[in-house]
Amino acid sequence: MLKATLRSFLAHKGRLALSALAVVLSVAFVAGSLIFSDTVTRTFDRLFASTAADVTVQPKRDLMSARASGAVGTLPAALREKVARADGVAAARADVQVQNIVVVDHRDRSISPTNGAPTLAGSWYPTRHSPVELTSGHAPRGPGEALLDADTAGRRHVRIGDTLTVQAQPGTFPVRVVGIATFTTTNTGAALLFLDPAVAGHRLLGSDARATGISVDAAPGVSDAQLKHRVVAALGAAAAAYDVRTADEQAKSAAASLGTFLDVVKYVMLGFAGVALLVGVFLIVNTFSMLIAQRTRELGLLRALGADRKQVRRSVLTEALLLGLVGSTLGLAAGIGLAYGLIGLMGALGMNLSAAQMVIGWGTPAAAYLVGLGVTFVAAYLPARRAAAVSPMAALADAEVAGVGRPLRARAIAGAAVGAVGAAALAGCAAATKTGTAAVLLGIGVALTLIATVVAGPLLVRPVIRVLGAGFPALFGTVGRMSQRNALRNPRRTGATAAALMVGLALVGGMSVASASMSASFDQQIDRRLGADFTVQNANFTPFTRQVADRVAATRGAGLVVAQRLTRIAVGLPDGGRVETGAAGYGPGLDDVVHLSYAKGGSAAALADGHLALDASFAEDHGVRLGSVLPVRFPGGRRAELTVGALTEQSTTDGFGNQGGVFFGLGTLERYAPGGQDSALYVNAAPGTRPQDLRPRLEQALKPFPQVQVRNQSDYKKLVHDQISVLLYLVYALLGLAIVIAVLGVVNTLALSVVERTREIGLLRAIGLGRRQLRRMIRLESVVIAVFGAVLGLALGLVWGVCMQQVLALRGLTAFAIPWGTIVAVVIGSAVVGVVAALLPALRASRMNVLAAIAHE
Amino acid sequence: MSTSAAARHAPGRVPGEGTAARARGLTKAYGAGETAVLALDSVDVDIARGRFTAVMGPSGSGKSTLMHCLAGLDTVSAGQVWLGDTEITGLRERELTRLRRDRIGFMFQSFNLIPTLTAAENITLPMDIAGRKPDQAWLDQVIDTLGLRGRLTHRPSQLSGGQQQRVACARALASRPELIFADEPTGNLDSRAGLEVLGFLRGAVDDLGQTVVMVTHDPGAAAHSDLVLFLADGRIVDELARPTAERVLERMKRFDGARGTGAARED
Repeated sequence: MLKATLRSFLAHKGRLALSALAVVLSVAFVAGSLIFSDTVTRTFDRLFASTAADVTVQPKRDLMSARASGAVGTLPAALREKVARADGVAAARADVQVQNIVVVDHRDRSISPTNGAPTLAGSWYPTRHSPVELTSGHAPRGPGEALLDADTAGRRHVRIGDTLTVQAQPGTFPVRVVGIATFTTTNTGAALLFLDPAVAGHRLLGSDARATGISVDAAPGVSDAQLKHRVVAALGAAAAAYDVRTADEQAKSAAASLGTFLDVVKYVMLGFAGVALLVGVFLIVNTFSMLIAQRTRELGLLRALGADRKQVRRSVLTEALLLGLVGSTLGLAAGIGLAYGLIGLMGALGMNLSAAQMVIGWGTPAAAYLVGLGVTFVAAYLPARRAAAVSPMAALADAEVAGVGRPLRARAIAGAAVGAVGAAALAGCAAATKTGTAAVLLGIGVALTLIATVVAGPLLVRPVIRVLGAGFPALFGTVGRMSQRNALRNPRRTGATAAALMVGLALVGGMSVASASMSASFDQQIDRRLGADFTVQNANFTPFTRQVADRVAATRGAGLVVAQRLTRIAVGLPDGGRVETGAAGYGPGLDDVVHLSYAKGGSAAALADGHLALDASFAEDHGVRLGSVLPVRFPGGRRAELTVGALTEQSTTDGFGNQGGVFFGLGTLERYAPGGQDSALYVNAAPGTRPQDLRPRLEQALKPFPQVQVRNQSDYKKLVHDQISVLLYLVYALLGLAIVIAVLGVVNTLALSVVERTREIGLLRAIGLGRRQLRRMIRLESVVIAVFGAVLGLALGLVWGVCMQQVLALRGLTAFAIPWGTIVAVVIGSAVVGVVAALLPALRASRMNVLAAIAHE
Repeated sequence: MSTSAAARHAPGRVPGEGTAARARGLTKAYGAGETAVLALDSVDVDIARGRFTAVMGPSGSGKSTLMHCLAGLDTVSAGQVWLGDTEITGLRERELTRLRRDRIGFMFQSFNLIPTLTAAENITLPMDIAGRKPDQAWLDQVIDTLGLRGRLTHRPSQLSGGQQQRVACARALASRPELIFADEPTGNLDSRAGLEVLGFLRGAVDDLGQTVVMVTHDPGAAAHSDLVLFLADGRIVDELARPTAERVLERMKRFDGARGTGAARED
């Protein structure tokens, strides 16, 4: 029996190749993402372990987010003496390192990395832990000199002797590059600038008496843990205000902060793997079903010769496992290639991971084979059961005419039942009033309606394709008629083939509706709320130096300038809850640049010292009233009791990760969280100045600050749209993969249909069907299958999109928009997919020898 | 039949009243060199217009190959073939396809119809492929003659074997081709349905003025023709005009008894 299985496997290798490709793709993505993240993790672990001092003392990271506020946590530089006196300390240094700076060259171009990695400026202390070593020039001495890392210097064409401008929080200052430092470890992509330690504190923090951390080296024979213990002891009661970490702990903490970015890469890759798997399952199920239909007589013969059902089933499953084995092995190899590619891509983005250090843990092959074998086994299980059900009589009967399947009643019942539950969940989602409930119902509804559509797909083949292909006879004559009917011949097969395409397009449909609605909602809000002539901010909403505000205010014709600064706070609520959220501080004149509607109170009360405003519905949910006094904790541990001065009717919260829409006056913010940078400036033209005249002046004034841009309302909308599009690009990439696999499925189905219809094709050719007409016939069949999948997918996606929009509406994004352009493009695109998928099968059919085809058994 | 007459009228050569198709020195070899097999060995044949010609011979005699070469379905190794005045040897694939579509009708032993099309659609298929309008009066006559009026909307799977062959016959006739080739048209039918189909082919020649070439190994079927050509080992070895089943059978027996003497007989 095993021999027969092997023979059969080898005999059908052409047909199995496409299924194997689906397995290869999904395994490659799983293996690739694992190898990539293992490699990156290992590389960074090594990097952080080698660059961390034996023990570091840093300010507590509580609520600290330099990204949001631009504030830097500091400690007194004098702490160094206290630490240095501890037993077992070989050396202690007060370090300065900040990332709230921008460095521009003499042509006002930023030398910062373009990939979002930070620009770090700090004091130059070459030790064995330094990630760089001085390779040319000399160490910086005095206030006007600096070192630059070699990668940045190379990328931005900076040479020794060039002058750079550093925009730091305390002020802008010029430096001359006197040396180049080359990375001795992995470069994470950041740009590094080093200053003389004697001036770094003054230049970057505004005071020589402050530092961002203390690095401590252990004396010989003292372990890091012992040293930490002694340092904590030496700090005494003050230790509670600081994080004291050993090298290992520091490396872990650094790795954790980098982890988010790596997690994103990992999840994206796993998302691809998931889509590949999901669509691959359809392909494999379809292939095995077709193979078994083709081999009914052969299986009947095996049964007649005495093989029992279990043996037949085992035989088919063995074939599937062989397929999975081959696919997983190739997929693992492809995954290594993919990881190489990703590491190379990271290199292009400035993150230098050496591919030679690629890490392939034991988990990678284990996961690869588990996924590859698992998915083929699961996908082949149903077809295998069907094979086992073949009666020995099948060997004697005439070859079954393809296209006659079992009735679809079971599918109809199952599909309708699952679909009804799914539809109910979606309806529940649309009617829900709580975001959490709605999201859960949405998830359930999406999953169930997808399953229902896949199950009931074959039932929809006839009605939908009748409509889709209705124009074919008129447009393409008898060739069109035949292709339409060919697509209808085996609804089960057509449905399964189209399902692969449907899954991907349903996702795209849903996401594109959601994102179009988001864009429309943001447009609405910008129209309604933004009153300023211009906003000044940067594309990724990171804070920028306060000098920008000064420049803007000093620009001729600039009127009101309102600054927005962000911080993170923890608010204690009357209902006992505690919410950690982002909050904004605004300067006076808010009403002139932003239209807020208040349920109670107004801007003046909201921005008054010691007051705050929050969203009325959030306040109601948590028992907050006008005049309530709320305990608020700020970064760095400062606490305040703030009075609720106003309740707003914001139709939305300000963004993700924010709750309650908390804001207060800049004065309040500065008192409790000083040293932050501006996130946005709202600028109005002065009376008598036309905005279009102000704009070029603003742009001229801000030329030395390449990190910010001037935007009017429509520019601002475009910026928001671009942010949303990033989400879409990811979805489109997923779709691309789904389409590749779906094309494989269509090719597979068509190739089999061509083989099955050999005699029919021979007859058609004999009575005068030209090769071109034959190719067109197959192409049209392919197109109608693909478009069927697209229509089904988009219809499902639209329903999902409507429900997603309902969930978004609960977050205040009330507008609903259907991106018709995208939808039409997808339908046209699916027709193109059909044409592409038909290329090979059509060619094969048209090359068929007419006589051999007629004589075909 | 005198020796001189036999020389003048070599088997298969019909003088006078025009030929629908003819072949000269038609040779078809499979394989090459030592292992080459001659399916047709320099065959000369004329198919008389307006007649019902049967081609008989044992399996492997080359009768199907002869039909395929005459119908432009197969290429020839040597020799020339004409359909009417058109030499079809040397035509390119596309021209051959057109020729088959527009000027030849086909009936095969089985699998004659496209399962997805109705009987009516199958009948007009060659003309639909060509994008031509069928001659409705003629079509009606053919359909009524074959008694298919009530079956036009049926799919092949809803028709009996005999009905399917009648639809194939109607398709072959529908475009009023110069020549109809029927390859074992009764091979898969019971005798009653077979007789019916043969009757229609006969009627197509007598009443509708069509030209029919039928390949068969059934003497009973051959008896419906005007002229039987006997093939053996790739050559036409004999012919029989106004055949009856008994006489055809008798001839067949002679060849079976003395295979390989065909060449001698020709002298």
